[in-house]
Amino acid sequence: MEGLFFNVGSGFLEGIVRGYKAGILTQSHYGSLTQCESLEDFKTQLSATDYGNFLANEPSPLSTATIADKATQILVDQFIYIRSNAVEPLSKFLDYITYGYMIDNVVLLITGTLHERDTHELLERCHPLGVFDTMPALCVATNVEELYQSVLVETPLAPYFRDCLSATDLDDLNIEIVRNTVYKAYLEDFYHYCTTLGSPTSDVMHSILSFEADRRTINITINSFDTELSKEQRAKLFPAIGRLFPEGNNVLAKADDIDQVRQACENISEYRSFFDNSVSTQGNGANHQDVGDMGVAALLEDRFFRTEVHLNKLAFMQQFQYGVFYSYMKLKEQEIRNVTWIAECIAQDARDRIQDFIPIF
Amino acid sequence: MATHASFKDRVLIAVIGDEDSITGLLLAGVGHINEHQKKNFLVVDAKTQVSTIESAFQEFTERKDVAILLINQHIAEKIRPTVDRYQQAFPTLVEIPSKDHPYDPSKDSVLKRVQKLFGE
Amino acid sequence: MSGAGARENVFATRMALTNTKLRLKGAQTGHSLLARKRDALTTRFRAILKKVDEAKRKMGRVMQLASFSMAEVTYTTGDISYLVQEQAKLATFRVKAKQENVSGILLPAFEVDRVSGSDFNLTGLGRGGQQVLRAKEVYAKAIETLVELASLQTAFTILDEVIRATNRRVNAIEHVVIPRLDNTIKYILSELDEMDREEFFRLKKVQEKKKRDAASAAELKALQDGEEALPEPVEEPTEVTTDLLSSKDEDVIF
Repeated sequence: MEGLFFNVGSGFLEGIVRGYKAGILTQSHYGSLTQCESLEDFKTQLSATDYGNFLANEPSPLSTATIADKATQILVDQFIYIRSNAVEPLSKFLDYITYGYMIDNVVLLITGTLHERDTHELLERCHPLGVFDTMPALCVATNVEELYQSVLVETPLAPYFRDCLSATDLDDLNIEIVRNTVYKAYLEDFYHYCTTLGSPTSDVMHSILSFEADRRTINITINSFDTELSKEQRAKLFPAIGRLFPEGNNVLAKADDIDQVRQACENISEYRSFFDNSVSTQGNGANHQDVGDMGVAALLEDRFFRTEVHLNKLAFMQQFQYGVFYSYMKLKEQEIRNVTWIAECIAQDARDRIQDFIPIF
Repeated sequence: MATHASFKDRVLIAVIGDEDSITGLLLAGVGHINEHQKKNFLVVDAKTQVSTIESAFQEFTERKDVAILLINQHIAEKIRPTVDRYQQAFPTLVEIPSKDHPYDPSKDSVLKRVQKLFGE
Repeated sequence: MSGAGARENVFATRMALTNTKLRLKGAQTGHSLLARKRDALTTRFRAILKKVDEAKRKMGRVMQLASFSMAEVTYTTGDISYLVQEQAKLATFRVKAKQENVSGILLPAFEVDRVSGSDFNLTGLGRGGQQVLRAKEVYAKAIETLVELASLQTAFTILDEVIRATNRRVNAIEHVVIPRLDNTIKYILSELDEMDREEFFRLKKVQEKKKRDAASAAELKALQDGEEALPEPVEEPTEVTTDLLSSKDEDVIF
């Protein structure tokens, strides 16, 4: 039934996004990009794709940062176009997408304020997707207390900050803890919001967001080994959603090494493969275990990215739902990462690693 | 030796570099901000004035707690006359490559001297 | 005066001669010692030059690896540069200088002095922490190479300086001090010879005068004595000429 009315509000935009999706680089594009000898070649190759002549006005020599910036700018333009054409509830959904970037920006401003820097120059460092109209107002704040108040008043992030942190927390806690606390609140809120949108949006988004939550949980666990982050604090950063929640999260909160993380993930069949490598190295001989653990941790990120891409691709299988917008953003982000990675490999002459990107289609 | 007493206090590594180099080096832990809020690093981007680089270079070379001064080669290139004139043993000046500018031994002021000495 | 070269302002005496000879001897010993020191330093210097050259090239590779690991971080975590810059407080990666003695030259060498800090432990907590960790290690290794290079380079600069100074000294001794002492010795010798000759000439003159005096005295005596017998007076002067020094003569002082 919802399919009947979906097109009234969002059919046009869904069509647009699916059109954009066709512009995502394919394996053969990547094939020719990886063959490039220099960044100039790279630029020429890219102009044959949907990116067009986006680098035409850039002075040589090109830097990889410029490529990433420009590519992001294209994505941002597309997003803004979609956002301005959207009506409720899609517009709200799209806003939720921007909150994630907004958190990063606000955290950046907090860092600047904490160290008494001029936060105005930070504005250009902010992610363009997370820019909101009242952001310059945050720069007026000269101390953390003021900033906290203005965040509550001026930004849509107010509930996350209000519920999780107090102004003094901003001062005392490590900035990464602040970031992850807020992000956890955001993920949970987004998840619940998707539930209100009903099926099929909620189905698609739940699977993506659950994965995102689990990935954060696992990452936080692994990254907090041997740091000053206590286990109670760690547990507080875990989002209360996802497939690992609640038993997995409880185990992870107490984990001390990668083996325990692996055991916690054993229960979810999809996550088992993430830790494959270390299992095989253990089988081969215990002497490689240390290397294996480090290797697994590094590989893990890569596998997370692959799974994320896979889940986001699945979102396109389903029609009449908002997941495509989210997925398109995520896939495009991954693509920008890929492009930057290849550019980086070309610029730094690291040919052996050039294949380490994650192809999308 | 005149430097005898002073070089025991030289413990810091100062950096003048682009954003990526600085980030990496700071990650490794060279960053230091002293009680006067003075940093031991300077981020140079396309907008940074040459005079700013010059004065940072002067400051770092005159500081008594800096043992080694790292500078990106392409930045050293901008203030080459000053760098070439620098002959002091302390702090040691080391030119390092950056991400976008691979290392070119022929521009290094120390290597130039090495080459000259070998050539003789 | 004798000799065109510069010489020291001394009185030409035997005492001064002995002194100057001793000093020449000293200068020659010093020269050979310094020359040997210079050779030792140069050998060392050449070795260091080679190492500096190698280390510089090695650094090129190491830094490339390091910036590549940074690219990995950017790939997974995004831009962390500002956070890192702002979080830097106290250096955990420092260097310590120690000294090494090469032929009497104190060469400072830097050593890595790293305390395990927890500064950026939580960076990339939610994403990419492992990559950050790795980049941290790779950069730490890269800096170790840089520190090594810095030591070599300091040694290079100081050795260069010292070798120049030593060279200057060797050259000074060889081309200024030694010729000067040589000239002085020559001067003193020639002065002494000159004095000898003058003395001899003077003595001769004295003798001549005495001869003349004796002759005229004898003549006078002969004139006075007149008819006195004259065989003896001729004998006495001949005796004086044959043995000038044996007889005491009031005109000769020494």
